[in-house]
Amino acid sequence: MTRYLIRRTIGAIIVLWAVATLVFFMLRIVPGDPIGAMLFDAGDAAAVEALRHKLGLDAPIYVQYFKWFWLVFQGDLGNSIYGSRIPVSQAIAEALPRTLSLASLGFIIALAIAVPAGLIAATRRNSMIDNVVSFGAFLGLSMPEFWLGILLIIVFAAGLKWLPAIGYVPLSEGFWPWLSHLILPAIAVGTTFSAIIARNIRSGMLEVLTTDYIRVARAKGLTNSVLILRHALPNALIPVITVVGIAFALLMAGAVVVENVFAIKGLGRLLIQSILNRDYPMVQGAVLVVSAVFVLSNLVVDLLYTVIDPRIRYD
Amino acid sequence: MTTKQTIPGDVAQARIRNTLADAYDFDPRDPLFGLSAAALSGPRLERRVVLRLLAAAGMLTAGHLIAAPRSAQAQGKAGGTLNCGWAGVGEIVTLDPAQINQVLQFQISSNVLSGLMHINAELVAQGDLAESWDVSDDGTEYTFKLREGVTFHNGDKFTAEDVLFTYQRSSNPEKSIHSAVLANVAAVDKVNDYTVHFKLKAPQASFLPKVLERASGRAMTIVSRGALEKMGESDYGLMPVGTGPFKVTAHQLGQTITLERNPDYYDKERPKLDKVVIQPIIDAEPLAAAIEAGDIQLIGGNPIAPELIDRFASNPDLVVDETPGPTFQSLWINPWHEHMKVTDFNRSVEELMAEKGFKVRLAIAKAIDRDAYIKQAQFGRGTPGFGTVNPAQEHYFDPGLAQTSGQTFDLEKAKQLMADAGYPDGEGFPKLRLLTTPANRRETQVVANQLKQNLNIDVEIETKDFPVLIEDFDTMNWDLVRLGSGGDYDPDDALVDWMQTTSKFNGRLRDKAKYAFGFFSDKEVDKLISDQSATADIDKRRDMVRKANKITSDKVASAFLFHQPDILVHHKSVTFPKESRIPGLVDLDRVTVS
Amino acid sequence: MTEHALTDTFEAAPRRQRGWAKLRGVLLRDRKALFGIIVLGLLAIAAIFGPWIAPYDPNAMAFEMLMPESWAHPLGTDDLGRDLLSRIIVGTQVSIFVGVATVAIALVVGVTLGVLAGYFGGWLDHLIMRYIDLQWAFPNFIIAVYLVAVFGTGLLNLIVAISLAFLDDFARIARGMVLSIREEQYVAAARTVGVSHFRIMWRHILPNAMAPIIVQATVSVSYAILAEAGLSFLGLGVEATTPTWGLILADARSFITRDWGLGIYPGVAIMLTVLSINFIGDALRDFLDVREARESPQ
Repeated sequence: MTRYLIRRTIGAIIVLWAVATLVFFMLRIVPGDPIGAMLFDAGDAAAVEALRHKLGLDAPIYVQYFKWFWLVFQGDLGNSIYGSRIPVSQAIAEALPRTLSLASLGFIIALAIAVPAGLIAATRRNSMIDNVVSFGAFLGLSMPEFWLGILLIIVFAAGLKWLPAIGYVPLSEGFWPWLSHLILPAIAVGTTFSAIIARNIRSGMLEVLTTDYIRVARAKGLTNSVLILRHALPNALIPVITVVGIAFALLMAGAVVVENVFAIKGLGRLLIQSILNRDYPMVQGAVLVVSAVFVLSNLVVDLLYTVIDPRIRYD
Repeated sequence: MTTKQTIPGDVAQARIRNTLADAYDFDPRDPLFGLSAAALSGPRLERRVVLRLLAAAGMLTAGHLIAAPRSAQAQGKAGGTLNCGWAGVGEIVTLDPAQINQVLQFQISSNVLSGLMHINAELVAQGDLAESWDVSDDGTEYTFKLREGVTFHNGDKFTAEDVLFTYQRSSNPEKSIHSAVLANVAAVDKVNDYTVHFKLKAPQASFLPKVLERASGRAMTIVSRGALEKMGESDYGLMPVGTGPFKVTAHQLGQTITLERNPDYYDKERPKLDKVVIQPIIDAEPLAAAIEAGDIQLIGGNPIAPELIDRFASNPDLVVDETPGPTFQSLWINPWHEHMKVTDFNRSVEELMAEKGFKVRLAIAKAIDRDAYIKQAQFGRGTPGFGTVNPAQEHYFDPGLAQTSGQTFDLEKAKQLMADAGYPDGEGFPKLRLLTTPANRRETQVVANQLKQNLNIDVEIETKDFPVLIEDFDTMNWDLVRLGSGGDYDPDDALVDWMQTTSKFNGRLRDKAKYAFGFFSDKEVDKLISDQSATADIDKRRDMVRKANKITSDKVASAFLFHQPDILVHHKSVTFPKESRIPGLVDLDRVTVS
Repeated sequence: MTEHALTDTFEAAPRRQRGWAKLRGVLLRDRKALFGIIVLGLLAIAAIFGPWIAPYDPNAMAFEMLMPESWAHPLGTDDLGRDLLSRIIVGTQVSIFVGVATVAIALVVGVTLGVLAGYFGGWLDHLIMRYIDLQWAFPNFIIAVYLVAVFGTGLLNLIVAISLAFLDDFARIARGMVLSIREEQYVAAARTVGVSHFRIMWRHILPNAMAPIIVQATVSVSYAILAEAGLSFLGLGVEATTPTWGLILADARSFITRDWGLGIYPGVAIMLTVLSINFIGDALRDFLDVREARESPQ
């Protein structure tokens, strides 16, 4: 187990290094001149050169690379090249809680919808309810997130005025202000996700319900609800955990779009904005953090398997 | 002769106050209302000045006040919180004047920081931290008397040292992106704690309204040395410390900026609001939803998407206030493109007409139906454009240009020009690449559609992010570009920045061996622009500005498109006084909310 | 987007030789699949004959902006006075093309990589899989965003970007399949009689590995269409003059309250397509007996 853990950790570090390196060089071969854009309104060619020099962007690429890497090694992700040049780590530290809040709430909403829906669909296979659930799941899968987000805003914020349309309020300013700003975007993020989980639970349950072990349990005269909740569900949840493992990737991808709709400056928005602005250090830092979280969550999921499914061993 | 411009003393102000107290409740100590020499010596007296003179002479009647924008309901009480949305932007990356490069940024910094001067609602420069000033005979020396008893938000005293510090910081290209703005300043000296002296290399008409302007100039917006040293550049940029009416108390990048009333502001009557919260909102629909839901009560930032304006106007809870904006928008035509080639503009229009490339350029400019464009792309809001000088520069803008310009819409003539150039009905003319920014994508389709329908020119739109577009624009790597300028309060912003051979946007990073100039170069225009810039007499200056503008229009420096209006949208509970309604800015110091 | 969720690696399933007739039978008996086939059939007609069916030029503008539904404009006009029905019909072609082309590229490249890695193993497997791991470490949609931002917008770049982002899914599935088939006796037999590597991969392994790949390809088409819509929303989609459903929908977003149709019709087009593809995908899954299973840790 320990050996496996060490091996996986080293593997993860190598992947992160490769991602960072790839992004570093790809960023620099692409067109787009952030300094020229920044000084568009203000500077002449000399000012552009001065700023380029100040930011170290006139050095050979490999020098920039090693410099950046040396700093990352020391835990310094550098500073944004835009505006007030705030530290990348500060920007990420501010954005991360927002994305995590959005993702967790989206996750909870998704589970709250998906688990009962999937269970009911599986136990009443091919019934009306099953059809409704699977149709609903497909509907959730086929709606572009931005579209759903805008519809939610139009109906619940501008129309009914139940919830705020946009923005984010940190938890420190109160639970309800925080929650009320997150409900609509979390629904937008969670819908697709809930559709996926519901389908997974349904197929997982169907498979489990036909196993010998459940048949034996049924033969022993266990009631249906006990059977499903105590025996079948835990087994059916195993594939769900796989989905949870990639939940971050999914919610992250959803968050890119949804954060833009709801004007929440989370990690997704930060990433898109810095890519569009060619804010090199910010893109590099954000990519590193996003992949780190992703790699880490995959690792945790793999380890979780051993806890949930005793058949899996890593030695 | 020495021009001496001062703000009227207390005695004069008191007299005005007494005379107008009942008729017009303005704030007497406010320099914006002072009868400055500039306002009085102008070739025209602005309405407000006239009103005040009438009142001062005891001739003011109720009839004169009917058109006044403020009625009894207008005056709100002091206090309260105003929630604002900043349109079309994801985050306010900086409020440090040395780094600010967007209008939407100085809209905020103008509420927090002061300059020596501040432009007023009629685009006349007035003193801000400067109480009065003298100009030497040759127009190269300015001596400023500074306001005393002003403190920064952190408690530091404002003195001449701060002006010097700001100058040193802003003139250093390593520290400020605006160092070029101060290129004409030879030296700045401290005479005493409250007097500074500027020596210019050459006279400069825009020195007061541009270089020293707290908003658009940015180079001499006064920063706090103490705060900068304590906070560091990057934190200072998020929460700058200044001497303005509001102080920044919180800034969550990309989420909210919180401003609170500066209780020690030099004008005790201002600001009225206790607190202002600003949220950047990049997309149109959420912005509309936010103001309709009442989450925000006022919209600042980038121009509001035109499709929303009618929707807001039809909403009884909202006020839509439209004025001419300090902008111009153009379709740039690359003069080095084989089929649109003009390598030398230093000839008369008649001589230019002999060239195939010029005919095509003129045909494109004449084929753009600006009224139709404004109706379709801008939902009817805007002024047709024929030059860089915009209608917000009221004194310099020439409304007659719409008729006299060579670019006036004439479809038959445009088609004829294309035929004469050897491309009857667009035959044999290559497909053109039209670069545009994501924000302009929708309306650029209208331009492309007009060129296709009117001249049968195929246009392929390429949407590029700003950093990429600018690189292409600077290196002249384009056929057509849809680009314009905002925040142009002075003719210099429109002419010096764009229309001279040495203009900063004129093919800045082009291959100079291959291209002698960027998009336009004309010796007469160069000289007119330099001369107008150094002319103090505003009548003479106006003639030069208009002449230069007309030449750039006739010689098709670009196909000018339109001037965007400046539209302010707010909830009806918000009172935005006329005197604060400075085009392009969102000065909140007189704003109240009920 | 959602691609990762349904790309859980598929376990090798014993291939059953069933004929096309049987497939047809399954698809026709499954009402949902039948619905999907009918819808996709109609869309295919629209995609092929779009320019002739469309009543107007999809880019022709008129002053009748944001008009409601009428006889002249059955779905009304958009914010620039263009006929919405014509745009959606012509958009079918581009949207479906984006979906199919994207998946085709991702499939060919991904499966090639996966088969090579699985068949030869060793350092080649290592190299390829480390790259796939690398890409796996990042959400597909963000990869697509990144690539479009880097290489610029436009139809071709969009297709390349989305297909590159989807590549790892196919490579993983293909490799997993090859690993299990490689050990089958008929492969060993072929090897002993001296059949070339290429021939073994092409004739013996690939056909037996296709079932889960086909299912994956089917659902990926719908994800590609959704990814295109998402990219269009972020301003990273196709050029303004190329109508796609995603672009029509994204461009409509600030007009929805003035004209609901502008937001509803292209949205319904996307949803119907995605729905149909998924219905067919489900039927195929049953038919080919591809079991969705957990991702086994490697």
